[in-house]
Amino acid sequence: MAVPAIFTEREQNFLRELTRQGVDFLVVGLAAAALQGAPAVTQDIDLWFRDLADAGLRRALDRVGGIYVPATLSTPPMLAGKSVALFDIVLTMHGLKDFEQEAANALDLKVGRVKVRVLPLARIIASKKAANRAKDRLVLPILEDALAALSDKTDFRNEGPQETG
Amino acid sequence: MSRTAYYALARKDSVIPRSVRAIASELGVPLSAVLEEPSALELRTRALLERAQRVLSRNPSASFENVWHTLVLLEEPPIDRLRRSLLRGRAGDIH
Repeated sequence: MAVPAIFTEREQNFLRELTRQGVDFLVVGLAAAALQGAPAVTQDIDLWFRDLADAGLRRALDRVGGIYVPATLSTPPMLAGKSVALFDIVLTMHGLKDFEQEAANALDLKVGRVKVRVLPLARIIASKKAANRAKDRLVLPILEDALAALSDKTDFRNEGPQETG
Repeated sequence: MSRTAYYALARKDSVIPRSVRAIASELGVPLSAVLEEPSALELRTRALLERAQRVLSRNPSASFENVWHTLVLLEEPPIDRLRRSLLRGRAGDIH
């Protein structure tokens, strides 16, 4: 069944540009869980960058017509512009090791025509447990059941029909 | 089909081979049970159900609903899994 237009070429272009510019980042949070098959609902795609000062991030944003909005005393750093409206910047991943250590075990997943690095579901669960906010507690049973389902397969990461185009 | 073959079949009481009728009779089931092949969807659903049952037997505290939805989503490419998640998450924004 065709899925209506959301996360279109526009958003894929941004991920592609990040990769082209050599920016180190991971897709984390519930978007990462959804990519792996968890029936979780999310509003945004959380991106964890190794270095927010990476010039490649600015170049990628330039290429897709987005901008970086630095943090202020009361607001976190953000991405702005239609092409990046679905993306959020994550500064801290509770309960996890540093970026390099987590990235070493990240999954390579093909999202449309772009290959991205994704935090494994088990690590997403660890971060949700550590953050322990009300919304994290609500979603944990879904993520844990999804992990049980995924564990039934040896290699579930790119399971599903191959994407074309 | 040739005309000879057509009339040969038309004169028969049944076009179903005797061996097939014999199997149905031996099994004590109607002929349709032997002849009907499950559809691809039925086969796929059966396989998914078996897989869900296997997961639940290993993880008795897991919810069937969550496991089932995960297995169904795994049938789709990652980008569509993400799109479904975003669509549901943003349903309030869209409508």
